[in-house]
This record gives sequence, structure tokens and C-alpha cells, in this order.
Amino acid sequence: MANRLNWLQGKTVRKNTPAGSHSRSSSTPQVHSTSSTIFGGGVKDPSGRITEYSSDDDQCPVCKSDKYLEKKLRLLVSSCYHKMCESCIDRLFTLGPAPCPICNKVLRKLAFTPQTFEDLGVEKEIAIRRRIAKEFNKRLEDFSSLREFNDYLEDVEDITFNLINDVDPVGTEARITAYREANAALTLLNSQREEAYILSLRQAEELERKEKEMRAEELRREEEEERQEKESGKREIIERLERADGADAAKVVQRTKRERAEREASRKGVAPGKGAQALLRARMAAAAATAATKDTPHIPFQDDYYAYDDMFVLQRVYLDPSSEAVRKDREGIMRAGGYQVEEAWERAVRSAVAGLDLLPLDTVPSSYAMDQGGDVIMSSA
Amino acid sequence: MDAVEKANTERQKRWVKDQKVGEGTYAVVYRGREASTNRKVAIKKIKVGQFKDGLDMSAIREVKYLRELKHQNLLDVFSSKTNLNLVLEFLDSDLEMIIKDRSLVFLPADIKSWMAMTFRGLEFCHRNWILHRDLKPNNLLIASDGQLKIADFGLARDFADPGYKMTCQVITRWYRPPELLFGSRYYSTAVDVWSVGCIFAELMLRTPYLAGESDMDQLKTIFRALGTPTEADWPGHTKLPDYVPIGQFPKTPLRDLFTAASADTLNLLSQCLIYEPRKRISAKDGLNHAYFFALPYPSHPSKLPKCAAQLTAALPLEELDGNTLSGKTNRLKRKLSSPDDAKTRSSVARRLDFTKQTPGS
Repeated sequence: MANRLNWLQGKTVRKNTPAGSHSRSSSTPQVHSTSSTIFGGGVKDPSGRITEYSSDDDQCPVCKSDKYLEKKLRLLVSSCYHKMCESCIDRLFTLGPAPCPICNKVLRKLAFTPQTFEDLGVEKEIAIRRRIAKEFNKRLEDFSSLREFNDYLEDVEDITFNLINDVDPVGTEARITAYREANAALTLLNSQREEAYILSLRQAEELERKEKEMRAEELRREEEEERQEKESGKREIIERLERADGADAAKVVQRTKRERAEREASRKGVAPGKGAQALLRARMAAAAATAATKDTPHIPFQDDYYAYDDMFVLQRVYLDPSSEAVRKDREGIMRAGGYQVEEAWERAVRSAVAGLDLLPLDTVPSSYAMDQGGDVIMSSA
Repeated sequence: MDAVEKANTERQKRWVKDQKVGEGTYAVVYRGREASTNRKVAIKKIKVGQFKDGLDMSAIREVKYLRELKHQNLLDVFSSKTNLNLVLEFLDSDLEMIIKDRSLVFLPADIKSWMAMTFRGLEFCHRNWILHRDLKPNNLLIASDGQLKIADFGLARDFADPGYKMTCQVITRWYRPPELLFGSRYYSTAVDVWSVGCIFAELMLRTPYLAGESDMDQLKTIFRALGTPTEADWPGHTKLPDYVPIGQFPKTPLRDLFTAASADTLNLLSQCLIYEPRKRISAKDGLNHAYFFALPYPSHPSKLPKCAAQLTAALPLEELDGNTLSGKTNRLKRKLSSPDDAKTRSSVARRLDFTKQTPGS
């Protein structure tokens, strides 16, 4: 698990060099072992791992210390593709950007990356190709003809070649910038497409893995059950033999076996387990219901609600002293909460008209008596 | 024993309490049944003793609005000793359980169906001038036939008359709209719509969309997800009582997070999550949104995913003996609705019903 997390975070995978590896040719790339490091970057393989290159011939070109004297020697690569050991980098660049001791290009400490390939030329080419691929990600669909697409690829290759071999660096960078500006939207879109594709791949993988796990689990359970079944069968035979000491042993064994086989058959018909089966049946019933009921188009309101909308017209303003404070504050503290005094008015008017079509009571309940003035008096009973 | 007490005891006898299934701040919920028919119900016992001045406010509110909203009704009310008991329809799962059940897969049509039912229920509340003020998956209960029902009216209230302040300490934090977080005392139906938007997003993500750790963090979470509002986005919000400037976050398109959603889906979601409450879509307009009419049609309620507990609950009782249910009962929930018990209702309600008065004198 820890291992898997490591590559997810793009950390360097460290393996100790096997003890016997000294006998191998010293130029053989070996996986390097170091203490934890602040240096990121490096070339990742498809699983996100970074494998570091190191050999017994390593020697720091700056301080000339080598693997023989300095067991922990680790060379890192600068952005100008010169190697240096960690302690030199610390010494030269801790106080801020400084010129490279080999080519005088100004470097920063954090721009050093671990080395993956023996040949630094390869290292450089890969870095450049990655960068270019990120920018120039047009696809065949983005062109009207194959010819145009091929021309575009030719151009890209041209730029890449120039960068790798340092041919006209200023002009090439200008070409890249111009392209970037002209195609910003398309580049973004294509990179999103790419991400979505990768995501879907990963999800599919995950799904497959889960399914596999589930199947394995199922299988294991079945095997376990079978084993238990067999064991209990054996025990039963032994018990019966114990009890029926006078009878024919062979017969007892045979009968027990037959009974078991019968039980087995009936169990298989009912299996697997009562609770799980009930659940299964419920699921199947649900599935059957699914097949039976058709989805219907959406109907916004499923009750015939009559809102009395045709019985009133809401005025723009009412004489309403109690709401004055709210109305005055059109742009103030009450406004931003979304309170609308019109809603209160609408409610009042709607409630009022809702009562209009109710018939007035022409009778009163027997337990009440109405006096002349129209007041209801409770009966004395 | 006077007549009222007698009536109460009679009513109490109709119901049998079985076992405790849950406890909230102001009530304990029991599973129960009707003594005569064995119909399953939930009994919500309101704790009375601990409040000095009578019943807890939310209990009163709950009873009030349950009685008012007819198609979600209370079966019965009785008191035993000093406790008030509400008898409610028993529903065994809620949307939160379904969202959390990782073995279930949601189709876009399922989400559409749940959203349609939520909007329909909310529209009914709003039509009756009631703000729910605590919408969250936990309060959307699912009946065994798949119907979704809005529950828990403990925080509900009707629209305020102008001049009456409302409290801003309502709605579970993750579903609380920014105007309440900024302490607005005058708000409207838009607060519920924000919650519905959050639930909508949660149905797609299968995890709470805007999960803040404190009220301050909640605002930050919202702004990080949807961008800090400008004065043009939301006029006047800087004048709200509890307004504090919170860092500037850029507006990121919803598409970045909801990669698989259709354009209609994102349009409805973004309309539910508009900062300016007056521009936020209303429940009524939400129901008429193109999202609901586009293909695929919303799933039929009976086809919606259900969690295991519910599937087994639907089975006849004898199949359940000895398995599954006993371990899960503490997760079961209670709730309202079933219009079949009109008789009980009228015998309990002390409401003025002019239509049923008999002729006399």
C-alpha cells in the first residue's frame, strides 16, 4: 500500500542496490538509494514512478568527489543538463540563484532534477518532447485534411529538433509563443479531453479490479463452505458408527453417504443461505418491477391545484404602513436576504379571494344557537 | 376522570410502542403499531419535562405544520403522563442512507426522479406559504414504494409578515444559503431552493457538496466552489448584518466538478445556487425547467434504487425472523403521510371545519 501511495505522489522509488551487484559492469544503470530529498521532477514511467540512474563511476564534475570515497554520492541534473552532487548544489545555490560552475547559466536549487537515463542527451530530449507535447496537442480531428495534419506534425518536429539541438533558440521560442497564443482555447480543450480519457480508463480499471476481488472472495467462501460440509459429513459417519456398534459398518457408512447426497441436492436448490436469498429475491422482484413499469414523461404538478390566479390582479403598491420599513430599504440590509414584501401582499390577497367562493353558512350546527345579533351562543347542554 | 382524559386514554390504547429507534434533541422516536391492525407506525415522544416554559418551540411548529399540510399527515396525537406523543407514518429509509450506500448506482434518470419529487414537495410547502428551513438528504424520507417525502417540520415557519424578523440560525450548515450565513433576518423561499441545489449536487457527487466545518468555513467553502460574489452578482450583500469580507476566489465552472452532467442539469443546478436570492429559481419554475422534460424521463418511483434494509423490510415478516433487521433497527426512521386515515384525523383535530357542520336549529 505504501508503495502504491508513493507513486501516486510521484515520489522517487528507492531500492537498495543488491549486495552482489559490484561484480556487474560499472556502467550498468542501478537504482539509486538516497535519503529523502526536496528535488522533484525527473522522468516518470507510465505508472508514475521515477527510476534514478546512478553508477559506480559517478563523479561530481565540480568537487571531484566520487562513489569510492563518498558512498552516498548522488548526482542531480541542472536545467542546463550538467551534473552536480547534492552537497555542491547545497553549497552553491542555497543562498539563491547562482551561475552554473560549468556553463555560467544562472540556476536555482529547486530546478535540479534526478537523473533517469545514462545519457543526458536522452534526458534532455524527453523533457523537451514532454513540454512540446503539452503545448502542441492538436488532433487529426482538428484539421480539415490529413495533409494539413501532417504539415502541422512536421512543424512540431521541426521545433522540437531546434530546441534539442539549440538551433536558433530565440526564434523557436517565439514560434512556440505565437502558437500558444493562437491556439490557447483548443489546447485547453484537448488537454481536458485527454484528462477525461485518462480518468475514464482509470475508472474502468478500478471497476475491473473490484469485480475481480469480489469474484475471488465468492470463490473463497464457496470453497470454505464445501470444506466444512465435507468435514461435518465425516464426523457424522464416525458418530453413527459409534452409536450403531452392532450393525454392519459398511451399511451405515453407505446410508449416511446417501442421506448426505440427498441433503446436498436439496440444499443446492435452496442455497445460498436464507437471509441472502431473501435479499436476492427482493432484488429480483425489484428488477422485475423495473421491467414492468415504464418511465413516464415529467409532469410538473400532479395535483389539480387551483391558485385563484384569475381572481385577482396584484397592485404594484398597497397602502401598508407595517411594511414601510422593508420597502424603504430597497437596496439595504433587508434587500439582499431576498425578502419581498410583494409576497406578503400576494399571500394576503390570495387568502382573501380563496374565501370568496365558499358558500356562506345557511345553517348552524345543532349544538349552537344563533341569537338575533348573529353571535353564536353555546348551547347550555 | 374527566372526558378529555378519558378520550386521551382511549387514544393511547390504540397504539402500541415497540422499541426505540432513534433520538433527537427534543424527541425520542419509537417503532410502534396500531393495536387493532398491526399497521407499522412511528411514535415520536416529545420530551416535555426539560423545558421550563412548556413545550419546545420546534415541537409546536412540527405539530402545527403537519396538521396544516394535508397530504403529509399526522395520524394521531396523545399525551401520556407529561409527554406529548405524535403518531406518524413509519418510513424506513432516507435519502442520506441511499446516497451513502456504495453498492447502489444512480442513473441520471433516478436523480431526476428524486429531484422532481423534492421540488414538487417543496412547491407544495411554498404554495402554502411555509418555509421548510431544514432540507437535507436526512430529512427526505423514502417510502417502500419509492416515493420521496419531505419530513421534519421542526424548523418550519410561515412567511413572515413585513416587519417580523426571522432567525438566521436555521438549516443544517452544509445546506445553508449564504444570505443566512451573512445573518439576514429577512429572507424568503429562496433559502429552501439553495438547500435543494446542494442536495442535487450531493446526489451527483455522492458526497456532501459544500461541507464547511464552521459557519465561517462554510462561506469560504461556498465561495471557493462558486466564486466570491461581486456587488453586481448580489446587490446589497455587503450590508447584511454579519457580513465580513472573505477572500477573493475565482469563479470556476461547475463543469469542472460535474464532468458527466448534461447541460440542462448544470443549468438547473447553477440556477439553484445563484447568490442573489431574488434571482434564484423558484420551486415552481424549477419544476418547469427543461432538465425535467429532457430525456431520459425521470425513473418511476418503484424503480429507484433502494438500500438493503428497505428491501428486506418490504418482505413478509416471517422471512425476516432471525436475520438482518434486528441489527439495523437503530437506523430506521419515522415519518408522516398516508391519506387513508381521514377518520382518525377528524376525530382528533380541533379545527374549525365549516363544511361538515350538520344542519340544526
